Amino acid sequence: MRLWVYVVRRIILVFPVVIGVMTITFLLVSALPIPDRLASAFGENPRLSWNQYIACSRITPGENGTCLNPAYIRGTHQLGLDRPIEVQWGVYIYNTFTGNWGYVGNGSGVSTSVQIARGQPVVTVLGWFLPYTLELAALSLLLILIIAIPIGNLSAVNRNRPIDQAARVLSFSGYALPGFLLGSLLLMAAVILVGGPNVHSAFCSGQTSYSDFTGSWPPPQCFPGGISPTWLNHFVQSSPTGFPTVDAALHGQWFLALDTIIRMVIPAFVIAYGTVALLLRFVRNSMLEVLNLDFVRTARAKGLPEKTVINKHAGRNSLNVTITVLGLTFAGFIAGFPIVETVFQLNGVGRMIAYSVTQTPYDYGVIFGSTVLFTLLVVTANIIVDILYAFLDPRVRLG
Amino acid sequence: MADESEKKVEASQPRRRRRPSPRIDQFRRTWYFFRRNTLAMIGLGILVFFAALFVSSFFYPADPTELTTYVATNGNPVNPNATQQQICTYEPGMGELPPGPNCYATPNGMPSVIAPTVNLHPATLGPLPFGSLTQNPGSAPFYDPFDGLVKGTQWSLTVSVGVVASGALIGILAGVVSGYYGGVVDEVVMRITDIFLSIPGLLLVIIVLAVLAGSVTSLWGRMSYVIFAFVVTWWPTYARIVRSQVLITREQRYVEAAKASGARGGRILRKHIMPNSIYPVFVQMSLDVGTVPLLIAAIVFIGFRLFPVTNFPEWGTIAALSSQPSVLSGFIEVCQSQQGAACTFPWWQFLFPGLTLFLFAISVSFFADGLRDALDPRLRR
Repeated sequence: MRLWVYVVRRIILVFPVVIGVMTITFLLVSALPIPDRLASAFGENPRLSWNQYIACSRITPGENGTCLNPAYIRGTHQLGLDRPIEVQWGVYIYNTFTGNWGYVGNGSGVSTSVQIARGQPVVTVLGWFLPYTLELAALSLLLILIIAIPIGNLSAVNRNRPIDQAARVLSFSGYALPGFLLGSLLLMAAVILVGGPNVHSAFCSGQTSYSDFTGSWPPPQCFPGGISPTWLNHFVQSSPTGFPTVDAALHGQWFLALDTIIRMVIPAFVIAYGTVALLLRFVRNSMLEVLNLDFVRTARAKGLPEKTVINKHAGRNSLNVTITVLGLTFAGFIAGFPIVETVFQLNGVGRMIAYSVTQTPYDYGVIFGSTVLFTLLVVTANIIVDILYAFLDPRVRLG
Repeated sequence: MADESEKKVEASQPRRRRRPSPRIDQFRRTWYFFRRNTLAMIGLGILVFFAALFVSSFFYPADPTELTTYVATNGNPVNPNATQQQICTYEPGMGELPPGPNCYATPNGMPSVIAPTVNLHPATLGPLPFGSLTQNPGSAPFYDPFDGLVKGTQWSLTVSVGVVASGALIGILAGVVSGYYGGVVDEVVMRITDIFLSIPGLLLVIIVLAVLAGSVTSLWGRMSYVIFAFVVTWWPTYARIVRSQVLITREQRYVEAAKASGARGGRILRKHIMPNSIYPVFVQMSLDVGTVPLLIAAIVFIGFRLFPVTNFPEWGTIAALSSQPSVLSGFIEVCQSQQGAACTFPWWQFLFPGLTLFLFAISVSFFADGLRDALDPRLRR
């Protein structure tokens, strides 16, 4: 099979899974009270009620009792709620695929950056917040590969020696240490180390050093004149790409671009830690298997330096397993974002999730929208992993 | 070597005892290999401690549905008739210590920060062994984390064992059926697990609970919904593991022999396939008992109301409450406003709840690792 045929087949095979996930969210959404559904689908408006009955006086003044709410009827009709369940399902799937994910509620919000999301379409808002999360994910994937592969190889080569035992302890601790705890501890350590006993910021006078390590950007007080650049506050209008680092660079603010990356390092490490712990074991075991194969013996026999044997011959062949496991754990990896973005107050998709679940009633549009978004990310990552795998190991696409 | 000589002695004696059934035999062998793994035995030791804590927490004289809450009296003596638990605190700037033995100076002037070493009321209370736990640095109320962690053993262990047991039950059934019958059944079950596994677990739990349990406020009602939501998230993993094992088991000779001697499908499943393919599930189950409290902690941490009250005595909840971003920034702000004065950082607030979670999870993972090594002959070192 050609590689591109494999790729196309793999992409087609993903649709049943995506539709299945949407069916699960559809079933859950159908269990919601209809006014809540309408409010999240069409947006909240203080002058508009989504209840089935409203006081008649608002339509025909002078009458008592209650009347059917025209907005309710229109809304239920648009979502197909007055028709059989399979039609509702079809409408839901169609809406999800076409990006009608409803509106963010009028909740009070938890910070200035989240407040601008009020009443906006969920897709738009997730679009604002996604680039930051993607940058963070890229950085932490990089960290995972940089940390896990060399340490895994090392512990395989030094099997059952102290290095191997240390790697094992690292791997166990990564499983048992919750991300928010590791994040808080590292944050505290950084704040106290940089700020000294009185925790004053080293970079921005009048601020605590807490603000040096939390938030996607420095607080407004740290900018000249005490106001942050408009393109930062309203990243809706004037940020061309949405990716914070790229935007800062495009606006010529290299210092800010660097600052954004520095602020990402600790969070990215915290996200990477759990996956590294898991990956280490697999890298080690697959490396051990590869080291016993004939071609490694041949490479050694023909007198290649040990470094070349480990890095070039064995290392590259054990990469397959690493990539597969990385794909399998991607769902767990991505579940770390809401937590880390909460700890470090970063403006990513995870922050929107944290915001939506703290509202009363919950911001269902955001919850379901981000669930679908995260699932799409997981599925995309799995496709990429499979393609990489097929690329690295031609036997896969023959089978 | 001692083992071999034992075997010889056994062999030389006339057989009086019946040979133990193969499963008991296997259990003994597993235990033999498990015992030799130091880390696994350490894990087992800590788990035994937690089990003892679980039993004793039922006799612990405190309300198991809420953390013990304290109010600082700001220099006034404790009022014995007050409804809330009181602790007399006194800020360093307030001048002379008020009369009476029951007041002590708080570090940084924060009445809600009480170190574990402070002896509060020698006559009545004694120290808070794990210090105080506050959500609003600088103001009341605050909690006793020691109290909560002891009481929380009940909830944490109940929820995680409940989740893992019911998840494994469903997963084993689905996996056995899917692996044994194959064909369309297998395809359907596996596609369903695909779907569930591609939703991040944290989000799946949240959406299930947000929709179904939004209006449930009773303690046990909420608890059963929490367990349900976790089971929904958890069963596909078990189904996958069991299925892959059943695919191997069903090709074994003894299954063929059973078929040849006329056993029906149900009997083969119950007597031959199920018992021989669920060992890997035990490893995953023991690992997951430690994961559930961690996931609970993560969900509570991002602000989702998992339990009916915010200050619910459960390990994950306590750990999540203690390290909220607002708590951290609050402490830092107070420290900064001290202008050069020495600033005590309340490390105990973060350390003890986190350490409990960590110890439990890591002992469980030691245990699971040892179990895997003991069960799988290829991994024995």
